[in-house]
Amino acid sequence: MFKEIKNRFATDEIEVKRPDLAKINVTRFKIFELISFLTEQYDYKTLNAITCTDWIEEEHFALTYMLTTVDRKHTFMIQTMILRDNAHMESLTHAFKQAEIMERDLHEMYGIDFPGNDNLVELSLENWIHTPPLRREFDTLEFVNSHLTFREGRDDNVDVKVEMKRLRALKKAEKEAKAKEMKAKAAKSDKKEKIVKKENEDGK
Amino acid sequence: MIVFDLLGMFLSAYMVGFLYYGLYRNITARFQRRIGPTVLQSFYDSIKFFSKEESISHGWMFYLGPVIMATGAVMTLFFIPFFYKSESFSGLSQYGNLFVVLYLMMLGPLGNAMGVGVTGNPFAAMGITRGLTRLFAMELPFYIAVIALMSINHSADIATIAANQPTMNAIEYPLLFIAAMFSFVAMMGQSPFDVVGAPVEVYSGPAAEFSGKFLALLMSQSSIMSFAKLVLMVNLFIGGAEGFLELLGKTFVLFLFVIAFGAMYGRFKTPQSVDFLVKVPTAIAVVGLVLATLGGQ
Amino acid sequence: MEEGFLKEQQIMENDLNSDTSHKSSVDFLMNWFRKRSIFVLAYGTGCGAIEMPPTFTSRYDAERLGIRGAATPRQADVIIVSGYCSYKTLRRIIRTYEQMANPKYVLALGSCTVNGGMYWDSYNTIKKLEDYMPVDMYVNGCMPRPESILEGFIELQKEIAEGKASSWQKYEENYEFYRKNQEAVLGKTVAPAYDADWYLYDGGL
Repeated sequence: MFKEIKNRFATDEIEVKRPDLAKINVTRFKIFELISFLTEQYDYKTLNAITCTDWIEEEHFALTYMLTTVDRKHTFMIQTMILRDNAHMESLTHAFKQAEIMERDLHEMYGIDFPGNDNLVELSLENWIHTPPLRREFDTLEFVNSHLTFREGRDDNVDVKVEMKRLRALKKAEKEAKAKEMKAKAAKSDKKEKIVKKENEDGK
Repeated sequence: MIVFDLLGMFLSAYMVGFLYYGLYRNITARFQRRIGPTVLQSFYDSIKFFSKEESISHGWMFYLGPVIMATGAVMTLFFIPFFYKSESFSGLSQYGNLFVVLYLMMLGPLGNAMGVGVTGNPFAAMGITRGLTRLFAMELPFYIAVIALMSINHSADIATIAANQPTMNAIEYPLLFIAAMFSFVAMMGQSPFDVVGAPVEVYSGPAAEFSGKFLALLMSQSSIMSFAKLVLMVNLFIGGAEGFLELLGKTFVLFLFVIAFGAMYGRFKTPQSVDFLVKVPTAIAVVGLVLATLGGQ
Repeated sequence: MEEGFLKEQQIMENDLNSDTSHKSSVDFLMNWFRKRSIFVLAYGTGCGAIEMPPTFTSRYDAERLGIRGAATPRQADVIIVSGYCSYKTLRRIIRTYEQMANPKYVLALGSCTVNGGMYWDSYNTIKKLEDYMPVDMYVNGCMPRPESILEGFIELQKEIAEGKASSWQKYEENYEFYRKNQEAVLGKTVAPAYDADWYLYDGGL
């Protein structure tokens, strides 16, 4: 089966990641053909997920479709590359009903358009006008620091590491002073004992 | 003087009703292995609601809704005599009989429906339709039992019915008593027939849009109405009362039974409760009616 | 209490409440009744709502203090903001808070309302709840246990009795400040539309 797929569709070797997972790379024009081939001929009837990875250095998105057999024994990951500017891909809702919500998620988080899917409203970001947040050009920390304000710190705010070092040094100094004192006391009492002993001997 | 009589009835119903609701929360808490609030908690609740600063209103009919409910509750109370033998605390019962009382008991839910319908809240409308559907079903066994009692005693006066009982109507005509108790549990708003004011399902149904002073009025009329129904049941079935302590004791025993029933059961859906109430208690009531009238003659 | 956990609580409470009440005897009586019966809106905002059911049921019984749940904002006194507020939730919380009748109180649970908490670097949650809603009492923790929530309620009762819990007055007096902050984060339409069309005509829930 793998040989047939490779010869007809794949662009390079089929990579077997686990006994139940294999990955195929195809071009975007052949992907629907491959999906219908797998669904009809080989019983891969469940669409598990449609996910996306952002390759910002090579300027493309890698879309992955995951198809599973009916008895859940084997899964194919089918991966295509689409360009980052003006990203779009034909919708899969005519074949799988669950693709509608998966494409909604990708549209909201990456900004990929799916013509053919007529319900591309957002799931959890209402009235979002900035860049789609899961793209790698969106810097979360910079966005937070520029749009939202934090609570100001207390005026006796200290850096934890510095403070711990200082406290440890203090404790150590105390301990040493105490040990010295004990030693001095012991030496004194020792000396006293020696004098008393000498006196007894002299007395005798 | 009749005015002092009415005032006495109203005040005692108000106080006892609120105390009974505080006791209800305490007893239900003990069923659930915890300690509940103090017994005076209903007083604190209603005074707090009276002191809410602004209450949102939806027009003049929204004001009239709780007012009509309160009117229905208080008038029902006035037509039920507390002590069947004496002249005091008998209110207006010589001017109206059991038919008037049964009619006035319907005034509350209808007033509520009108007041709630004007708000436009879909959840309130849902609660009201459930309430009116359940009302139609739960009246049936109660009316049949009451008609049986009226035909046995050849009179529609509550005092006469209460006076004619040899021991207690509950022991003489047990089937009628059982049928009336099913309806009574529903009338007091206890499980399994309490689908109307379900807090989480319908956002407390008919009380969904009322805030502040309206809610205080709703709570007050609810406690007065409960006490009136308790006194009615005591007069019809449990032998009436001759003193205030006896009245309190008998109403408390009845109330305790109803609370215990409610604490044990879950909640029926509206079609389930209508189905049950139209079949089983009605059948029992009809059998009781037949036996009572044949036996009497 | 010179350092640590309790001192931080004290510092935070000192800038929360202002003593704007009139001290007459009727007010004293009314505050006494208000602290004895508290209706909490049954609205679990964030992940802190997991600690609310144990507090209100049999084991850590909150009903012995007079606290019980209320179904609608019209009947409620206290709204508990339990945890983080994303933008979507914040719109609904503000709409619900404005529907409640005065006098009303806000109890903020968890460290996400104080300074962002676990989600301090998230693009979709707010960091400091006080900029958008007035807060009466903070309860620290992530999530605070039922015993902490009960202590928070007892402190709130003390504040109500002294007349210091006046966040609704703060909201009315400084409405422009709060509205400016809300619009900066949520856009011009701060709250969703207030009609029943979505239920009756758009196909329902």
